Amino acid sequence: MKAQEITPGVYEIKILNASDEELMEISESMGLALTLEEMHKLRDFFATLGREPTDIEIHAIAQGWSEHCSYKSSKRVLRKYIFGIPSPDTLIVMQDDAGVVEFNDKYAYVFKIESHNHPSAVEPYGGAATGVGGIIRDVLNMGAKPIALVDPLFFGPPNYPYESLNPGVKHPRYLLNQVVAGIRDYGNRVGIPTVAGMTYFHEGFVNNVLVNAGCLGIVQKNKIVRSRVTKPGLKLVMVGGRTGRDGIHGVNFASKILSEKSEEEKQAVQLGNPILKEPLIHVVLEANDAGIIQGMKDLGGGGLGSVVGEMCHAGGVGVEVHLDRVLLKEKGMAPWEIWVSESQERMLLALEKKDIPRLQEICEKWDVEMSVIGETKDGHDLEIYWHEKRILHLPLEFVTAGVEYDRPYKIVKKKRMQEIPVEPNYREILLKLLNSFNIGSKEWIIRQYDHEVQGRTVVKPLQGVIGLESHGDAVVLKPLSDSWKGIGITTVANPRISKIDPYAGALYTIDEAVRNLVAVGARPHSFSDCLNFGNPEKEEIMGQFVESCRGLGDGARALGIPYVSGNVSFYNEAFGVNIPPTRVLMAVGIVDDIRTAVTMDFKEEGNPVYLVGETREEMGGSEYYTLIGAKSTTVPQVSLEKLKKRSGEILSAMRRGLVKSCHDVSHGGLAVTLAEMVIGSNMGAEVDLAPIGFMRPDFKLFSESPTRWVCEVDSSRADEFEKIVNATRIGVVDGTTLRVRDGTRWLFNIHVNILREKWRDALREYMG
Amino acid sequence: MLIFSGKNGEMLSENIWGEKMKAAILQMEGTNCEEESYLAFKHFGIDVEYVHINLLKKGKKSLEDYEVLFIPGGFSAGDYVRAGSIFAARLKAAAWKSLVKFVEDENKRVIGVCNGFQVLIELGFLPGTNGISSVPQAALATNNSNRFECRWVYVRNERKTHFTSLAPDVLSLPVAHAEGRFITTPKIMDEIVANKQIVLRYISPDGSEPEYPWDPNGSMAHIAGIVNSYGNILGLMPHPERAFYWYHHPDWSRKKRGVGDGYYIFKSLIESMH
Repeated sequence: MKAQEITPGVYEIKILNASDEELMEISESMGLALTLEEMHKLRDFFATLGREPTDIEIHAIAQGWSEHCSYKSSKRVLRKYIFGIPSPDTLIVMQDDAGVVEFNDKYAYVFKIESHNHPSAVEPYGGAATGVGGIIRDVLNMGAKPIALVDPLFFGPPNYPYESLNPGVKHPRYLLNQVVAGIRDYGNRVGIPTVAGMTYFHEGFVNNVLVNAGCLGIVQKNKIVRSRVTKPGLKLVMVGGRTGRDGIHGVNFASKILSEKSEEEKQAVQLGNPILKEPLIHVVLEANDAGIIQGMKDLGGGGLGSVVGEMCHAGGVGVEVHLDRVLLKEKGMAPWEIWVSESQERMLLALEKKDIPRLQEICEKWDVEMSVIGETKDGHDLEIYWHEKRILHLPLEFVTAGVEYDRPYKIVKKKRMQEIPVEPNYREILLKLLNSFNIGSKEWIIRQYDHEVQGRTVVKPLQGVIGLESHGDAVVLKPLSDSWKGIGITTVANPRISKIDPYAGALYTIDEAVRNLVAVGARPHSFSDCLNFGNPEKEEIMGQFVESCRGLGDGARALGIPYVSGNVSFYNEAFGVNIPPTRVLMAVGIVDDIRTAVTMDFKEEGNPVYLVGETREEMGGSEYYTLIGAKSTTVPQVSLEKLKKRSGEILSAMRRGLVKSCHDVSHGGLAVTLAEMVIGSNMGAEVDLAPIGFMRPDFKLFSESPTRWVCEVDSSRADEFEKIVNATRIGVVDGTTLRVRDGTRWLFNIHVNILREKWRDALREYMG
Repeated sequence: MLIFSGKNGEMLSENIWGEKMKAAILQMEGTNCEEESYLAFKHFGIDVEYVHINLLKKGKKSLEDYEVLFIPGGFSAGDYVRAGSIFAARLKAAAWKSLVKFVEDENKRVIGVCNGFQVLIELGFLPGTNGISSVPQAALATNNSNRFECRWVYVRNERKTHFTSLAPDVLSLPVAHAEGRFITTPKIMDEIVANKQIVLRYISPDGSEPEYPWDPNGSMAHIAGIVNSYGNILGLMPHPERAFYWYHHPDWSRKKRGVGDGYYIFKSLIESMH
């Protein structure tokens, strides 16, 4: 690489006459992760300017063009399927850092979910913590107070043999421990409750752990801040943490596949500091209350580089930045390092000059540092100065607009088949399912997160008799002290079904999100999607992505639920293995009155128990078939029309107070649903499967057919319930055992304590 | 006792003291239960304010102006060293004299919840078996489970104090901490017992001796909360402000309540100053 120092710390890179080989060497040695085609585009651009670029110019462009920042592989597909689902309540959708949706006359809720996968694979504790920190800022910079965190996590099985691990790959147990600790230590310290999430185990995540983090906030509608500035002459102020060498090239790193050398890229992992974040949240909210913020964006992936560019480009103004005014953690940083550093806990605010003293006063109260680093200008150019010398001068359009690809894709259709196993021992299968990693109790994880702080969590993640609780389907928050209106939150993903059929799996994921919200009495209102996939340069992986988006689009459009924010994580590939397609939905619902919210634990002996929805022989991707090793590609098929109808019926019955408990039927089927309701309430039930129809009992018990719930109904009002909800009466709450028969044939009779112990032991044996 | 509860489950606000009584909720980086606590005081019409420790230090706010001092939970300064010790050190540096004057005035009240309890111990205010101690007389050590846990527990109201006079015999409250195991020397424990300073003890739901998780941390004598020997300072690990309304309770759909159990702690405190 030929380079010449033009001012201390800044080099001019000779690319105009570079050969292809030299261009790739530049991409490699500067850590740009650009392709030859992209390097050509870069060279051609500077040829038209008639000059060589500086190192900071090349870094700025490479960052803007990274998969992480530009969505170059996904954008066209997202536009076709995901964007633009109409909804009367959306305020800001897919434009700023988080989606904004109307909550009531005065308030809006703000939320987003995103991935933090690659950093968590090499440095799980710091990576997970930073994932939480980053998503909090995305919500905060809309001017909203963060009130809830969610964390869907995906690991290899905890009992995975050590000797089978690839070089450099950390064991799932270690990763689980560290990731949970990272989320715990960050989320608890910053005082935002971690209320929901999921933990899923599958061999496909051994090399590539997935750590997704979501945040929801609440804001007065007239206090919403945009992630853009439209006015020249505003001061740009950095507030919060100092800038250091941590997190350099984080976005470029996130756009590569992992290998045994990934450990060496630890410097790409940022370091979070919750005790800087906590006062920073106060500073931002107080400044917003004072009405002095004209535009705001958080410094996450891409650092200053992507934030300054995107903020000004979106608002149609030019900008001038003086990098020597940025407060640094360490001496001797080169300007390009300052520009791309992803150091945490930093926000960029745009203010009128006259308001700077007010911000200063607020920062002093909270001991938070700030510095004025630049100013917006007329025009469309980005100019960077270093000790008064201009070291970058580029059109914002070229830096931020990035590139887009129509990646070729191939849709692999699997032939439909289904093995029929010999009839099992029902008692044994149910206890094994309860004891399996994906179904067993996650109490060890859930209780390490403070889910009560802020006092808004009115339906908890663990539901039932105190000390004996089971998993709830969703949580409900009461965001405002003077309103009964609530917000339901759940997170969902179905990698196993999606691996067989990404389209059907996407619809199933939507179905489960809706089921979970309806189970607590929440009307589904909006989605945020985090799309985790393998390497998009492989046609079948791109095919999974396209089919998934088509499914997500079709499902949400039919239900009238918009996607208001989201994130794509590609390149979850290592050692030639790609993760199963994992679309995570963070789904938000509205509970019109939290006093009508419902939990999943049985309430009273003598109450009838109903099954809502149709059970079919579709065992593909089910926990039962996985457990016994039977093969099936016959995955559950969703009828969106039925989903809409049944949801409406159940919500209507709940508003009338007819439903005493409700739980959706998902992993492990009806048997596991009933067992969990028994576990949480410490009350038994007697159930007869005969009314479900003519089918083998193991299919009735363990099928994971969609659009199904179990409802316990007030015994004095069963007739009223039957008139409203299309449901089948299958049993009654009674005793201290779960007793199930199919007509005259008894299948099992298990005491609640045995069910609970098996369920609790699933992870306890591994995690303590 | 009259409970001010509307028929649809809303808790009507009560104005016992008008705007006359002033309460301060202390803040520094990492305190994070201030909002729930603020709402609880507001419910009784108390003139409650957030007071950042920097405002005390710079003399912009003064403790003399308040009747109640509330030290909320959280992770002050991250609690990267012993929980509460940095908050205590900063408080000492910022306002030691006025703080001592405050706690020695028996007409004033101090509550520390969770991290606030840890701070009160670090300051030597609790157990305070013979008044303020120059060195901590006890510690809130790492839970026996060796991890942070968020769960609901039952505590027995051991005796009528300024903070518990109106509370029922058994309260259900949430805990959320990694360091809550109360430990001290046998001598100081004897003094605590002799002074009747134990106010709240963990119990199991059937009233028997609690084992984990009913005693969530393994405290000596299952201590969940204590007062100082003068009875005007309370420190407790459970969070009464997170159990203020009936809908804070995890089992509200199983058991009807007019108010949350934590309500009685605030109510007792405010009535005690009447």
